[in-house]
Amino acid sequence: MTPAKSRRHRVRRGLWILLLLAPGAAVMTMFVVVPVLGAFADAFRSFQGPRPTGWVGFANLRDVLFVAPYAAATWRALWHNVVVFTSLMVVQNGLAYLIAFALLKALPGHRVHQVIVFLPVVLSAIVVGILWKELLNPIFGAVNELLAMLGVQGPPWLGDAGTALASIIATNAWHWMGFPALIFLAAMQRIPRETLEAARIDGATDRVLMARIIWPLVAPATTIVVILTFIGSFNWFELPYVMTGLDGSPGGATDVLGLLFYRTAFGGVSSGLEDFGHGSALAVLMFIVVAAVSAVALRILRAREIEL
Amino acid sequence: MTERNRLAWQLLLGANTVVMIFPLLVMLLSATRTNAEIFASPLGLPTGAVFANVVKVWRDTNFPLYLANSVIVTVGSIAAILVFGTMAAYALARYVFRGAGLVYLFFVAGLMLPLKLAIIPLFIQLDTLHLLNTRLGLILIYVAMGLPSAVFILTGFLRTLPGELEESARLDGASELTVMLRIMLPLARPALVISGIQNAVPIWNDFFFPLVILTSDRLKTLPQGLTIFMGEFNTDWGVLFAGLTLAALPITLVYIVLSRQFIAGLTQGAIK
Amino acid sequence: MRKLLAGLAALLAMTGVGAGVARAENITFWTWRQEDKAAYTKLFAEFTKAHPGVHVLFRAFPPADYQTIVSTALAGGKGPDVLHTRAYGGLEQLAKPGYLLELTPQNDPELANLPASAKTALAVRSTGKIYSSAFSTQTLGILVNRKILAEAKVAEPKTWAELLAACKAVKAAGKICIANGTATGWMDEVFAGDLTGPLLGQQFFKDVVAGKTTFKDPKYTAALGKLLELKPYMPPGFTGIDYPTSQQLFLTGRAAMFVGGSWEIANFHKQNPKLAIDFMAPPAPDANSPRLVSKFYDGGYAVVKSSKHQKAALELVRFMGTKHFGDQLGAMLGDISPIEGVKLADPMLARVAAMDKQSVPYIMLVSFRYENPTGSELLQGALQKMFAGSMTPQQVGASVTAGIAKYYKPFQGK
Repeated sequence: MTPAKSRRHRVRRGLWILLLLAPGAAVMTMFVVVPVLGAFADAFRSFQGPRPTGWVGFANLRDVLFVAPYAAATWRALWHNVVVFTSLMVVQNGLAYLIAFALLKALPGHRVHQVIVFLPVVLSAIVVGILWKELLNPIFGAVNELLAMLGVQGPPWLGDAGTALASIIATNAWHWMGFPALIFLAAMQRIPRETLEAARIDGATDRVLMARIIWPLVAPATTIVVILTFIGSFNWFELPYVMTGLDGSPGGATDVLGLLFYRTAFGGVSSGLEDFGHGSALAVLMFIVVAAVSAVALRILRAREIEL
Repeated sequence: MTERNRLAWQLLLGANTVVMIFPLLVMLLSATRTNAEIFASPLGLPTGAVFANVVKVWRDTNFPLYLANSVIVTVGSIAAILVFGTMAAYALARYVFRGAGLVYLFFVAGLMLPLKLAIIPLFIQLDTLHLLNTRLGLILIYVAMGLPSAVFILTGFLRTLPGELEESARLDGASELTVMLRIMLPLARPALVISGIQNAVPIWNDFFFPLVILTSDRLKTLPQGLTIFMGEFNTDWGVLFAGLTLAALPITLVYIVLSRQFIAGLTQGAIK
Repeated sequence: MRKLLAGLAALLAMTGVGAGVARAENITFWTWRQEDKAAYTKLFAEFTKAHPGVHVLFRAFPPADYQTIVSTALAGGKGPDVLHTRAYGGLEQLAKPGYLLELTPQNDPELANLPASAKTALAVRSTGKIYSSAFSTQTLGILVNRKILAEAKVAEPKTWAELLAACKAVKAAGKICIANGTATGWMDEVFAGDLTGPLLGQQFFKDVVAGKTTFKDPKYTAALGKLLELKPYMPPGFTGIDYPTSQQLFLTGRAAMFVGGSWEIANFHKQNPKLAIDFMAPPAPDANSPRLVSKFYDGGYAVVKSSKHQKAALELVRFMGTKHFGDQLGAMLGDISPIEGVKLADPMLARVAAMDKQSVPYIMLVSFRYENPTGSELLQGALQKMFAGSMTPQQVGASVTAGIAKYYKPFQGK
């Protein structure tokens, strides 16, 4: 190739790449990046109703992090998000791993089970939230009805500070479990048959198979599941919103950052007023936490994939 | 595998399936009953007219119109997400160029941005572009929201495809476009299916953005129309559940019909 | 050519021919009350008859998203022409930044139909300028299932002691006495405001507003403490019972009383016309004290300043401020219009209006929902904890006072 030809080739290649990236980047810029940056700027402003009245520097951020009564709500909500993430990792994703392993065995009827395990995933969080709120109703809910048949008096699940958050987490697990289950299953099915057979012949039990043989081999799937669960847990909004309300009832026991930011920015239904300054400050914090932790986690998890 | 062992796993799957199905059955049952019946016995069978609640929802809302609007918006958004998402992911996965890492970050960071917060700037942006109260405006919002996850999933998948086919096609004189459309994309079908379904669910179910940007009655989507309708019946559980069931039905049916292909797609290699 | 057209237009204007044609316009009305659609459609048709060519489009949004949608549209300059607004702080946060048109006796002579007390609810506090006409007043009391009380052989409880006795009898008869649960935050504020009103007495509210006392006042915390005496008579698992479930407990005849507002009357009649219900004032602390109801203004109708049909919009708001409109609100929706001289055909509504003569303000909404953190949000969360047993009435009073002290000078350092 002559230098001129290769240069022309390079330019053409560059244009081609640009053409591929341009439409997506343009839509993202216009409808996500620019509006969100605009909203982030609001974190440094004061407001009257929806109208900005001036710049206040870092005052809003300082308020939501360190000044009473805002700060207490922020830290409590953040803590609840951590609880949600940890519990979902153990309950939802742990169960998903077990179910994926069971499906891998191709037992009779596994195709039907496969379709059903994913069925709740296609439902909206609103539908799932309303449905489970009624199932958990202390008076005419099916859950307590079933417990009563066993002679147990069920608690007011969503009304008790001790069980409310756990109930919503369980609902989330019911709703989403199919997604990690199928991601794990997909990864497990790519493990060569011979590897598993060889382990079996060496006398490996199911427990050993799951913990020692399969676990390292599905590391890339784990990366995806961990990252998506993390982002999902920190943007948690719809399920608690529907099930315990914008104020995170009872008494803030189910308050998470998503609810807090929305409630602060737009005001409660019959309680608060709009406060876009503090609301935006919370959103900026959420973004920083999620982006920073995801970036670090992604790096660690990718390194782990190679190591294992 | 011993028989006892086999039975234990079979039981786990069976129990799980019961837990997954039972609430959905309660929802269907509740949709056919009245408040008084639900109160008297939450798990009872319907006694009266089974379809009374469904008929009420059907008659009092413009269900077919809402349905048509939702189909247009969802299909339009998914098509654009897949086309634009594949283009971007293809560039990121199959070519080495300067700044690729940053471009990838740009797309993926969208996963973490709370677009609800930006509703006022977004609204003003749409107004400037004369896209308020149009389906196109709504579709563009959904495309922007869906692209990050599409690029995330598709880039991951396209990266794992072997390079030999591509190279041999190039040596045969195929253009870059031909290589992409004829050689690579058919191989990426499973990932496209996953990305499509994964985005279709939240788009189909969203009622917030239509409420804010669509003002014409004739543009209303299904969740938007039903949300407003159910506002009047928030204490009539039978009607509420009938509405919820009707809202969830179309996408559930689509999923069940396509489930074989979907699951095949997912298990053929979402990973790596 | 242009001159000719202008001349023609002037001629048409003079003869009045153009008036009917030029006035063919559509204006929009936004509200959070989807359930009122039929009534408003009827009333708007009347309006169109009186103002040929002006059509009003009714558009309702889910209550939970209403504020967000209104703010977004107003900030984007695309609001409706007439807006159903909340009163007090909810109105002020839209009026102060200039989104609403000021109403004056000149542009809205119907304002004269409102009592003086309405004007504080519909105005910006600092200027006293009015920005909406009035929608309705609400009264907090107790809805009673007459049949259950009769079966338990108890009369309407007039004092707190009688309320407890009545509840004991109802419980013994196998029914729930009080339908209310505590899972819905704003209903907790209603519950507490409703029942503590007569226990506190009018002087307490005057003192709070004058800055002479706070919510740490032993009088206030003692009244909150009284509420806990009702716990045995609330539904089983009441901390998990939300507003709709409470309503259904009452409507399906499982509970004798529902502590709530006058807005429930029409709604309950509609949902279960067979139920024999009464609306009574909350019980007094003793036989010699008055049974005070809590009262507040529940929103109004405002003209959006950026409206392109401001004149027509103003006409509509004037129409909504007439005595006729107020009468119709009462007749069709069971809402009590504050417009002076409205007739309430429904005897129960008339009784409620009579109760209003002896009232106390619904304090957090009327006085402490203007700045963040609002008294309402502080109180609601704390009440849920109080009912769950994790906060004492004294702690509730202290935390509410400390929160409000952020912006309310008289509470600072107290």
